[in-house]
Amino acid sequence: MANANPPLMVAQGIGQLARNFLREVGGVFWFIVNTFEETLERIQHGRVPFRAVSFFRHTQRAGVDSVPLVGLVSFFLGLTMALLTGYQLQRFGTERLIPGLVAIGFTRELGPLLTGIMLAARIGAAFTAELGTMQVSEEVEAIEAMGIGPLRFLVAPRMLALFLLMPCLSTVSNIAAIFASSLICKAYFSIAFPYFLDLVKDSLLIRDIITGILKSFMFGLLIAAIACYRGLTVKGGAAGVGTSTTSSVVTAITAVIGFDTLYNIVYTTFYPT
Amino acid sequence: MTTPKHMVELRDACMQFEEKKVLNGFSLKVEPEERLVIMGQTGSGKSTILRLILGTLRPTSGSVFFKQFEITRLPRRKLQQVRRHIGMVYQYSSLLSSRTVRDNVALPLEELTDKSRAEIDKIVDEKLDLVGMKDSKDLLPEELSGGMKKRVALARALVLEPELILLDEPSAGLDPVIASVIDELIISLSEKSKVTSITVTHEMDSAFRIATRMGMLYQGKIIEEAEREKFKQSKNPVVAQFLSGSTEGPILEGSLDAITKK
Repeated sequence: MANANPPLMVAQGIGQLARNFLREVGGVFWFIVNTFEETLERIQHGRVPFRAVSFFRHTQRAGVDSVPLVGLVSFFLGLTMALLTGYQLQRFGTERLIPGLVAIGFTRELGPLLTGIMLAARIGAAFTAELGTMQVSEEVEAIEAMGIGPLRFLVAPRMLALFLLMPCLSTVSNIAAIFASSLICKAYFSIAFPYFLDLVKDSLLIRDIITGILKSFMFGLLIAAIACYRGLTVKGGAAGVGTSTTSSVVTAITAVIGFDTLYNIVYTTFYPT
Repeated sequence: MTTPKHMVELRDACMQFEEKKVLNGFSLKVEPEERLVIMGQTGSGKSTILRLILGTLRPTSGSVFFKQFEITRLPRRKLQQVRRHIGMVYQYSSLLSSRTVRDNVALPLEELTDKSRAEIDKIVDEKLDLVGMKDSKDLLPEELSGGMKKRVALARALVLEPELILLDEPSAGLDPVIASVIDELIISLSEKSKVTSITVTHEMDSAFRIATRMGMLYQGKIIEEAEREKFKQSKNPVVAQFLSGSTEGPILEGSLDAITKK
């Protein structure tokens, strides 16, 4: 283009990206608000918002079926973390710090974060693909046409399932990693199990556990909201479902890491130690 | 603005999807207990009319009324309540693919009423029997043929005893016998249960079988509206061409040359 002004074009590009980003954030925010509103309206009218069987189907799929994956990945990471940090700490004669390091690292940060990333990929993708397919085959519109609120009927049970199950899975992740590090401590650094447990108990604060749990609740809500939002806004048939599923996983993982960073900044500002 | 006495009324409804104007000042009145059939070419906006009546689409301008309710202005909660009085049968049935036939038909009852499981089962059996699908209630939609899906969709639309049924191409893609069965069902519903129906279709046989009144949608407006027999003898060149299926006439003017040249 003859009149192209490169700095202006860059500024326009950044502006466009920022606008799209804010639109998406706003979209997800109002999606969560509308889901709450629709669900609460139903409760106010003295009716159950969704059937228990629907909720438990999602808890089974999102929670119970994810235990092997979360447990196994966290176990391997716990092994690796204990092994690699252990050799470094051994040089200074401080290998007894390994249990505390793994325990604090996982309960406060890695447990919720890893679980969030795994669930965004495993369950977020499933939610988006499922709702996206329902959207393109007009099933969602048919539900709406019957006078049933699709947010309350389709989104609320998924959101609640992931919101409640995420802390449980984070706990599974923490336990698997700590158990793995105890095996490494015993095999390579001669730290017996009872001593290992004492070291964990000495270093771990209730505050660390609560921080991790609170984070997990928020991660669950974020992943479910992003996945369902992407699913219900699918356009463009089967190809659209594919694109939205990829986008859902990428967005959810980015959002989880971004939220975690923000949470840590706020947390360390108020509780610096 | 006066509140209409009709079952359904659309006033000067316009609907635009990005650059494409689908409805352009569309007006329509539907009286209680009548069976209106709206005909028109594929892609002329017939399904859009049904979606406007249901409120799943909002018109770019104009108003849509169902009885005394202005659909275009209703808050979400009220709109959901109004929709319970309207049954919709989609062109591709839109059954929930993960639920069995029984669960599909039972869904509105489970979600919107306080009926017990036994009462729900009784109503579901009754409606499935009405459409001849009682033996298939444990099947999943993927195990059904197109005609069977349509019949289940009709049973689902009837389960809350609606005052109005909207049917989007009810006999498209079905063999003539099943198409006749569905048409007869629509007629008997209207005669026995006093249900008003609006059907959009381009299937001529089906349209003339069902209709008590017919309308022709062309370029976003109803260009002809009459009782069935009068509609059949319409002198309107668009209607005449559509009914005869001729390539000569105003419908394909300009575009036919382009098609034949290709």
